[in-house]
Amino acid sequence: MEKSRNPVFSVSDFIAVANQTLEYAFSTVEIEGEVASFKINQSKFVFFDIKDSGGSVGCFMTVWQMRVPIEDGMKVVVSAVPKLTQWGKFSLTIKSIRPSGEGDLKKSFELLKAKLDKEGLFAPERKRLLPRIPQHIAVISSTQAAGYADFIKILNDRWGGIKVDIAHVQVQGSSAPDQIIRAIDYFNQQENLPEVLVIIRGGGSADDLSTFNDEPLVRAIAGSRIPTLLGIGHEIDESLADMTADVRAATPSNAAQILVPDKEEIKRAVNTQIDSLLPRISQIIDQQKQLINDKLLSVFESIEISFDGYDRKIESLKNILRQLDPKVILARGYALIRGEAIVGEIIQIETSKIIIGAEVKNVIKK
Amino acid sequence: MSLKNKSIQDKTVELTKLVSWFDSDEFELELALDKFKQAEELAADIEQDLSTLKNEINIVKRKFDSEK
Repeated sequence: MEKSRNPVFSVSDFIAVANQTLEYAFSTVEIEGEVASFKINQSKFVFFDIKDSGGSVGCFMTVWQMRVPIEDGMKVVVSAVPKLTQWGKFSLTIKSIRPSGEGDLKKSFELLKAKLDKEGLFAPERKRLLPRIPQHIAVISSTQAAGYADFIKILNDRWGGIKVDIAHVQVQGSSAPDQIIRAIDYFNQQENLPEVLVIIRGGGSADDLSTFNDEPLVRAIAGSRIPTLLGIGHEIDESLADMTADVRAATPSNAAQILVPDKEEIKRAVNTQIDSLLPRISQIIDQQKQLINDKLLSVFESIEISFDGYDRKIESLKNILRQLDPKVILARGYALIRGEAIVGEIIQIETSKIIIGAEVKNVIKK
Repeated sequence: MSLKNKSIQDKTVELTKLVSWFDSDEFELELALDKFKQAEELAADIEQDLSTLKNEINIVKRKFDSEK
């Protein structure tokens, strides 16, 4: 028998060579298909098939790599390394998986939302207030993103004197969630904690924004020691990260508006306060003048009342005196007698009209 | 704390206190002019701060595309 020119491998070597060839040809491959036979073993290992109408391939991953809920029938895109196992079975070792169909994205979103809601991650009582005017903030965003530029512009227009630490990260794509999580951890480990952690990203497609529905990222936001403010996408976009954050802004610009007051408004308010003081002082002076006038008036009235009383009293005394006037008595017909009541003495009798001289003839005691 | 070391927020709080003094029971006409001058000075200072203070923006050097 003629010796073959082909190399002869041991089984293990063949598997190793096959895997090397696969790795060379497809170091990482992305495949879109439908999930079937999904199961989790020992709460650690995830097995499922990805299939379409013409074929099916087995997939393997750990439960920690699963960033969003997956179930049978979902259309997904997997990023995977093809591998021949030691048992000769071809499979895909999954690096990442994400729903791709619009309905499936929504379904995955709803499944995770229900799970996190049950855990209380969206509960209103978990929400913390942001400081009124922070002096040190941390921002996580892509410095090349339009949303970041909007945020910084509005922030600078509205307020000054804030220390702003920026972590530049990817805000879309498969590596975005982990980069954002690392940035959250970085700021949370600082000795001088920023007062607010702002996460910014402009608008994008549902797929772009799906970064913010990543379970570990949502949990990292929930676990942040620093109060969080999220300005992701447009007003109509709502992510699980938004729901978990302490404060949700409708857009990156709105995040800056929520974070700091408008200095022009503050200037106007300060000037209004000052402008209100002089009229206030004038008003108080007028009130004081009025008070003094009222008191003076009251004193004058008291004096007047007293005078009236005295007038009446004097008038009454004058009346009495008038009644006691001898002329008045004489006018009433009485006579005034002057002299001694001794017989033979000459006395004087005065009436209202005449004075009579008379001699005392007798004196009789009553 | 001198006026220069105070933050805008501190100054704003101080101004609000000064202004509310004019409506409080502690108001004394004899002190009003001094208090008014203080408030005016503080307001000018706040306005100056608001016009001149810039945000200090630092891009963190650490890269976040890998663990370290």
